Amino acid sequence: MLWVDKYRPRSLDKVIVHQDVAQNLKKLVSEQDCPHLLFYGPSGAGKKTLIMALLRQMFGASVEKVKVENKNWKVDAGSRTLDLELTTLSSTHHVELNPSDAGFQDRYIVQEIIKEMAKNRPIDTKGKKGFKVLVLNEVDKLSREAQHSLRRTMEKYSASCRLILCCNSSSKVTEAVRSRCLNVRINAPKEEEIVDVLEFIGRKEGLQLPSGFAARIAEKSNRSLRRAILSFETCRVQQYPFTNNQLIPAMDWEVYVLEIASDIMKEQSPKRLFQVRGKVYELLSNCIPPEIILKRLLFELLKKLDSELKHEVCHWAAYYEHRMRLGQKAIFHIEAFVAKFMSIYKGFLISTFG
Amino acid sequence: MDDMDMDIPDPDELQWLEANSNLHDDLDFDDDFQPPFPDDDDHTPTHTPPIPQSQPPTRTDSNKRPQSPPPIPTIPDNFASEEASRKRSRIEPQVVVDEIPANTSANPAAAVAVDDDEDWLPPPVHQVPQPIEEDEVPEETIVSRYASRIDGDFVPVTGPCGDRVYAKISRFGFDDSTKKNKLHSNEYSNGLIAEPVSLLMQRVEQDAVQKALLESFGPEGDVILPKVPVINEKLWVDKYSPNSFMELLSDEQTNREVLLWLKQWDSCVFGSEIKTTTEDVLSSLRRHTSVAQHQKANKSYIGKNKETWQNKENFREYKMLDQENNDSKGTQDLGNRNRKGYATPEQKILLLCGPPGLGKTTLAHVAARHCGYRVVEINASDDRSSSTIEAKILDVVQMNSIMADSKPKCLVIDEIDGALGDGKGAVDVILKMVSADKKFNTGKEQTHEDQSGKGSSKKKSRDTSLLRPVICICNDLYAPALKSLRQVAKVHVFVQPTVSRIVNRLKYICSKEGMKASSIALTALAEYTECDIRSCLNTLQFLNRKKETLNMIEISSQVVGRKDTSKSFFDIWKEIFQKKRVKQERKASSGCKNVWNEFEYLHSLISNRGDYDLVMDGIHENILKLHYHDPMMKKTVKCMQNLEVSDIVHQYIMRTQKMSLHVYQPAIAISIHGVIAQVEKPNIEWPKSFQRFRTTLMEKVDLLHLWHHNITPYISRHLTIKSFVEDSISLLLHILSPPTLRPVALHLLSEKEKKDLVQLVNTMVSYSVTYKSIKPNLLSSNLRHEVGVDASVLSFDPPLVDLIRFKDYTSSHFVLALAMKQVLLHEVEKQKILQAGINRSVHLTDVCKENKNLAMDKNGINRSTHLTDVCKKNQTMEMDKNGRIQSSRSHSVSVKKAVDVLNPSEARQCEKAAPPVSSNLSSSVNSSVAIKLSSTVSTKKPSRGNFNFFERFKKVSSEGSQATDTVQRRPATSERDSRPFLFKFNEGFTNAVKRPVRIREFLS
Repeated sequence: MLWVDKYRPRSLDKVIVHQDVAQNLKKLVSEQDCPHLLFYGPSGAGKKTLIMALLRQMFGASVEKVKVENKNWKVDAGSRTLDLELTTLSSTHHVELNPSDAGFQDRYIVQEIIKEMAKNRPIDTKGKKGFKVLVLNEVDKLSREAQHSLRRTMEKYSASCRLILCCNSSSKVTEAVRSRCLNVRINAPKEEEIVDVLEFIGRKEGLQLPSGFAARIAEKSNRSLRRAILSFETCRVQQYPFTNNQLIPAMDWEVYVLEIASDIMKEQSPKRLFQVRGKVYELLSNCIPPEIILKRLLFELLKKLDSELKHEVCHWAAYYEHRMRLGQKAIFHIEAFVAKFMSIYKGFLISTFG
Repeated sequence: MDDMDMDIPDPDELQWLEANSNLHDDLDFDDDFQPPFPDDDDHTPTHTPPIPQSQPPTRTDSNKRPQSPPPIPTIPDNFASEEASRKRSRIEPQVVVDEIPANTSANPAAAVAVDDDEDWLPPPVHQVPQPIEEDEVPEETIVSRYASRIDGDFVPVTGPCGDRVYAKISRFGFDDSTKKNKLHSNEYSNGLIAEPVSLLMQRVEQDAVQKALLESFGPEGDVILPKVPVINEKLWVDKYSPNSFMELLSDEQTNREVLLWLKQWDSCVFGSEIKTTTEDVLSSLRRHTSVAQHQKANKSYIGKNKETWQNKENFREYKMLDQENNDSKGTQDLGNRNRKGYATPEQKILLLCGPPGLGKTTLAHVAARHCGYRVVEINASDDRSSSTIEAKILDVVQMNSIMADSKPKCLVIDEIDGALGDGKGAVDVILKMVSADKKFNTGKEQTHEDQSGKGSSKKKSRDTSLLRPVICICNDLYAPALKSLRQVAKVHVFVQPTVSRIVNRLKYICSKEGMKASSIALTALAEYTECDIRSCLNTLQFLNRKKETLNMIEISSQVVGRKDTSKSFFDIWKEIFQKKRVKQERKASSGCKNVWNEFEYLHSLISNRGDYDLVMDGIHENILKLHYHDPMMKKTVKCMQNLEVSDIVHQYIMRTQKMSLHVYQPAIAISIHGVIAQVEKPNIEWPKSFQRFRTTLMEKVDLLHLWHHNITPYISRHLTIKSFVEDSISLLLHILSPPTLRPVALHLLSEKEKKDLVQLVNTMVSYSVTYKSIKPNLLSSNLRHEVGVDASVLSFDPPLVDLIRFKDYTSSHFVLALAMKQVLLHEVEKQKILQAGINRSVHLTDVCKENKNLAMDKNGINRSTHLTDVCKKNQTMEMDKNGRIQSSRSHSVSVKKAVDVLNPSEARQCEKAAPPVSSNLSSSVNSSVAIKLSSTVSTKKPSRGNFNFFERFKKVSSEGSQATDTVQRRPATSERDSRPFLFKFNEGFTNAVKRPVRIREFLS
């Protein structure tokens, strides 16, 4: 059991980072008026933690007793019947699933499961009909059709089923769906907040934290709480009595990007670009999203760059990232950015050093 | 008839309509009234000027009246004419009768009829114009001539003239009122004069024009048409296709090899007698193929004529031999054909492949005919479903024709790669036959001889062996359908014949057809069509037909059809990356136009191929390896941007399905060409890296998915695959292999270290990570090579390390010693087993607690207390939901009963089994009961009250299915009489020592 999981707050009261959000959610539940919710924010900010805490607040500890099910659906889609399969996590009170795993047939899944839930509504102790909660992860990856089909079902079955949507960016969720939900933004925790959490864990674990150590970890964590806690534990595992200048382990891919950046700075030629391509392929094939690679690469390059070039390079990075999102083959765009950077940098070198 | 006409009051129109009948009347009148002609003459000048105009053509044109013109000058013998006409008049009626049907049916006849009408029309109007008069008069002489053969057909032709005459007379006669006949007709003519003159004139004119038109077209067509098709009916391609082996244009060596192969069938097909001769032929053929090769090498200086002459010599002998063969064998050897020799060539199928128009089909046909076969062709246009084709092939290959003079058949399957789906049928059938044949040959050698007789046909149809040569022809050797065929067939790839050879042939054909074509133009044509003789000939014929001569400009313009061939991707990439030197030179001379041409060329090249995605991938793959001068990376940036655009366009097209936008893709490639094209030859590779990247990505995502599913949900729900590698994997790996852990025995560890170890094991279990031994050779290149000395190396089970293993990158991860790993592996397995039990018993308890070994204590607790314990827990958890517990109490009761039922058997087991096992057992029973209870409590569905007890068990088992095999083994021992179980005993590696082992020993 990692500290990340061990010290994950289980109720809204114990939340450290997003206390204000937690309090608001608690109020919502206590007023028995729970609308559909849309949680959005960067990864590692605590969306899922809050959602689980919220569910626990709603239904009590029984929510935590979940089972994994591989559900099969047979859906009549006009002329043919579709066989769909999806893994769901379900407790008596809620169902959790990742509809985007179903690919382009996700809309059938969403509709089917909501209808199913509406069919057998639970009855609470007072004999009143309760509702179930459907947690949909990665809504931003949901196809447009699925999102459209969602909005009607959301209204129709709102009595029996509440939706909690979770995504990284709300911009990819259609306006219609967003307006039907209470949007809850979970921003990445500030570094101070991260420090708070780390100190809390340190206390619980009975560790001696040298001053500034937590801050260093927080700084390196890229404002991702999960990452901060993980690196904290790593430090603990690697060398316990913490020293103030202890090495905080870096992510391997980031080191690799750093290598790429220094490669680029060293030489600007098509040949070098070809080498860079091979390395970028390596990163991409290890499930690192291209946007993150590009962003990281930009950061690493900016560190080594003359200040007068920074603006231009940033501009081009944004330009190519935009194009990358329009396109399909990320490698083309990352490479184009690298080529552009090389061109700019080389021009700059020649103009400054003759 | 006359009377009839006279009686008729005067229905002018009617008469007009029935022109013919009127005509006859007129003719009748003719008889009497020839004399007044002169008077008519007086009148004529005044009226009807147009008539002469209209008439001349009619006269000249009408085939049947060549007689009329000559006598023009001679007016005198009116009387003679009168007489003649009189005679005619008698005959007339019959003729007319003849004429009427003719009118309706035949065209020329109709034309004549029209003539008649017209000729006749004017007279009633007034008077015949003078020229006509003159014509008329002369006619009489002719008439007189006709009179002699008056019975002839052409009488009607002269008839009209008579009419004219009459018409005038009749008018005269009206004045005189001498004859009633005339009177009547006069009245009628009067009416005409008065009113419809203008109308009539118009009609006459119209008719004349029509006739003129008709005649201008008609006869010409008649005359010329019959000739033209006769000449050009046959395509030159067919007309000049080689009929004998020596005329073949294709490469000599290929030709000979094909022939050689065919000859190898002789012993099988034609029987053993000829075997000797065929041996000769074979040897000579072999010799000559080598000669041919030699010749080919020397071709440059030997000179064309000599070579061909030599060939002729060579082949003359073959032919002789061959003909002998044909004579002797083809006819009668049907019976003893397959007797002894049966030496079919090793590869029973010949596969000819090459681009279209090089003469593959021709070669197959000619060679087969040359060797005395009758060619049976199956091509793409035939039915190619495997059932029909099988029957067809069997017919060809195994049946012999009864006809005495029939030749053995040779099967030519043309365009075998054509239709993939259908063509496959043919390929399958052939393959089946070949494989059957092989089996057959190897299997039974002696029965074979018996079977080879006639009686065996039935059996053979089952076995379907190949007894006749089969030649397959395809364009693309690497078509997927041919994959298997390629392996069994003898493959001949056609190469392009030399241009000069083709030009020679073209020249010959041109000269034969009388078409002028310079050899430069022909060479250009041949090059343009890539030595496709068929398209050359078609083009030439087309031009010849158009009466044009072949010139250089036409070839490159659109006049000559471009062959719609798609080149391979490699060619396209080469074209994009390579600048043509020639073109560059030309560019200097005529700049803009050449750029345009190049653009056109590339555009058609790329768009013909399609699949722009792959084209772009290829460009992307190879572009950076080119050696273009680019000091400031400007070109590279440009190319990259072009590729980006292409990708974006592609994505847009895919998303919106606007396929028409694909037209912009070639332009992108061309712009890249413009930026970086070099003269030097590029070294092009097939774009693999993107695909490789895709597959590895898929693999890794799958790996993560699998792993993700294995992790318990309360952890996995917080992990997403997308961000896992991004922000967790490295740290997780650090945590999983702590450098602080000393590789010593467990009992030597300090208290704190033990705690750390427990923590580590817990982590590993909760993240379902374990160690697994893998073969060292897999590891040779990876991080762990320092450990890889051992025979087997332990590595993380979901190979998480792979996710941070980048090329040319060494991570700083600490690697545990092997001993430590083994300890960990052991501990993890143990922990898993323990947890499986705990998981069952305390499903509802807090997750944190669950992982601590506290739960072990619960094993001792007896069932009833445990039950109540669980119930209590439920109650505490759902205090406000008492009602539900109440409702579910019935279930728990039933559960208890069930447990009681189970109990005796379990008790017995407990007695038998060793103490630890019994405790384990009871715990498991407890756990299962607990789960049942919890499930009944938690389902909160009173409606399901009468749930089957065993169904609940099923649920439990499905829940427990997450546990690993080792975990399942132990519960299995405890519930052994409910399920059959199986022990696998693997102590030691040898079978030499056997000793009895009791089950009890395993259980302890």
